[in-house]
Amino acid sequence: MTAEPHSAPRSALQPWPETVAWRPVSPRLIVIELLGLAIGLGLLLVAALVAWAISGSNWFGLAVAAIIVLAAVRAATIVRAVRAWGYAERDDDLLVRHGLLVRRLSIVPYARMQFVDVTAGPLERMFGLATVQLHTAAAASDARVPGLAPAEASRLRDRLTALGQVRAEGL
Amino acid sequence: MTDPVRFGGGPDAHDSPGAAGTPPAPTHGVPGAHGVPGGGPGAHATHGVPVAGPEPRRRLAPLTPLLRSARLLALLIAGISWRGFSELGLSKFLLVVALGLVGLIALSVVSWWVTGYHVVGRELRIHEGLLWRRTRAIPLERLQSVEVVRPLLARLGGLAELRLEVVGGAKTEAPLAYLSVADAATLRTRLLTLAGHAAPPAPAAGAATAGTPAPAAAADPGRFIHRVDNHDVWLSQLLTPQAWFTPLALGFVLVQFLFEHTWGFIALASTLTAMVSVIQQPVRRVLTDWDFRLAADHAGLRLRHGLLETRSQTVPLNRVQAVGLTWPLLWRPKGWLRARLDVAGIGHDRASQENLRSGRLLPVATVDTARRVLPEALPGVDLANLPVTPPPPRARWLTPIARPAAGLTDRVFVTWDGRLTRELVLVPYARIQSVRVVRGPVQRLLGLATVHADTAGSLAAAARYRDLDEAWAIAADLANRARAARAAAAPPTPPASTWDASGGGAR
Repeated sequence: MTAEPHSAPRSALQPWPETVAWRPVSPRLIVIELLGLAIGLGLLLVAALVAWAISGSNWFGLAVAAIIVLAAVRAATIVRAVRAWGYAERDDDLLVRHGLLVRRLSIVPYARMQFVDVTAGPLERMFGLATVQLHTAAAASDARVPGLAPAEASRLRDRLTALGQVRAEGL
Repeated sequence: MTDPVRFGGGPDAHDSPGAAGTPPAPTHGVPGAHGVPGGGPGAHATHGVPVAGPEPRRRLAPLTPLLRSARLLALLIAGISWRGFSELGLSKFLLVVALGLVGLIALSVVSWWVTGYHVVGRELRIHEGLLWRRTRAIPLERLQSVEVVRPLLARLGGLAELRLEVVGGAKTEAPLAYLSVADAATLRTRLLTLAGHAAPPAPAAGAATAGTPAPAAAADPGRFIHRVDNHDVWLSQLLTPQAWFTPLALGFVLVQFLFEHTWGFIALASTLTAMVSVIQQPVRRVLTDWDFRLAADHAGLRLRHGLLETRSQTVPLNRVQAVGLTWPLLWRPKGWLRARLDVAGIGHDRASQENLRSGRLLPVATVDTARRVLPEALPGVDLANLPVTPPPPRARWLTPIARPAAGLTDRVFVTWDGRLTRELVLVPYARIQSVRVVRGPVQRLLGLATVHADTAGSLAAAARYRDLDEAWAIAADLANRARAARAAAAPPTPPASTWDASGGGAR
């Protein structure tokens, strides 16, 4: 092997992930996530309220309070979590970053792509969004970009598969 | 080469498209491949088969829902079980089964209705789902094999299942079940033709690395590398926690049984059974690692071992995902280690298209032996010369006992971990699938980060708790080196190490 590049774009002042042109996901994802949260916790809340009304036990009142607090905390973090998602298409790889508490950055080369999934759940479709996920041979690879407009999703998908073909290699 | 390394290495270089913008036509420099417009929504020209506009979606065979629900119904009946049957009584049981059948068929019909596949450009697209919709795009270049399988039930209906094996996938992805036999065969041929290889794969000769490219006779024993001493094998397995634990437990049980008289025969038997399962592992290791022999031939590394059942497999070197070396605590006085070979994918051996098994490279060896053997699996890697650096001292807060370390050498990413049992993982850059930087809350507080190098295998290489700036640099460096290694390894000769470059017939 002749190639041996050792040129990490390192700078003490500006770490490189910040210099990449990150693209945000759609803010509509916030609404979707909030709705999903509302549906999930709403069901729980109704169940707790019914139980409270029937049994009269104050423990269920506590549970209701806990659910409301949880919902508030989650709602606040969802907004920030969605803003934390970002992706960037570089020449040879796709970068995806996400997570608030645990921050993750994935670097997935196009050459490693096996297939690309575009998924859209009912809520996502209601708001005209889709999720693009790049699969590699490694199960741990984590290249999922939610909250993309359909046009952007299919553009990304086409670009990923096209680049994956050009740069295709095996294992 | 400097930073922006593209696939511009050799005469077979792919024509790299511009950095950004619309997907260009992927013109392959590989002989046999054609410049075919890629996945752009407008471009759907295929080989010789002119298709006007996007090809219409096709559904699976109409009998599919019936077959699917028959399978699910069997599950449902098994779920009800005899107990449920006796509780329900025959008439209610039949009612439940009938309702279940109607429900299952309805679901299956809906699922069949919304499932479709078509070939778009050089991709196979599979659409699924009514509420949760999924479109899977599989570039045909990535197909490793396409198999037509006929399970028993499908055979009754004259149907077949199409299994697509994607490069590097450990499991079969995206099965198309079910298609009529004729459709399956046609689609298989079509996919393979489009993918550029109508014929079965050329033997993926490890010509890039192995020294002897001459196709040897089948009886060729290969170049002998190493044979593990059987004495060492059983001794090493005696030096395991299981082997140490068993006599103690046995003595305890016997004492209890003889003097306490409180233990019945059942208790004794069950305890003994538990002990057998504990001791089973070292015994099985001895049996499988018996007479462990390593050889090399033109195709790769040959492993042969086993007492009762001799196992042998040839691992092409380009399938080696990682090598892990472990120094167990109890082996320390002997200075022994064991080495694990992490492989993925399908063996190139056409006669036995079975999955490669990950397993031992060396069941037990001294460092010197390992140093001698290691370059056979990872060419150019010297065990004695793997410089690593520890994480900053503040990482102790997170890892008080284990002493992780990591380093980037010429060819492999090196990570150390553990304290009592030391573990070393070596991942060749060319096998890195993706790189991840993960920072948990405590790590962020301390300004640390963990860099993972993902491979298709099961060994995980992670540089734990590096200084954040250093972690970014490691990640960038890993990505660059992986790219360079891929570029160097991808098109060595036309019958390359993988399918992709082997341009098949132009149909």
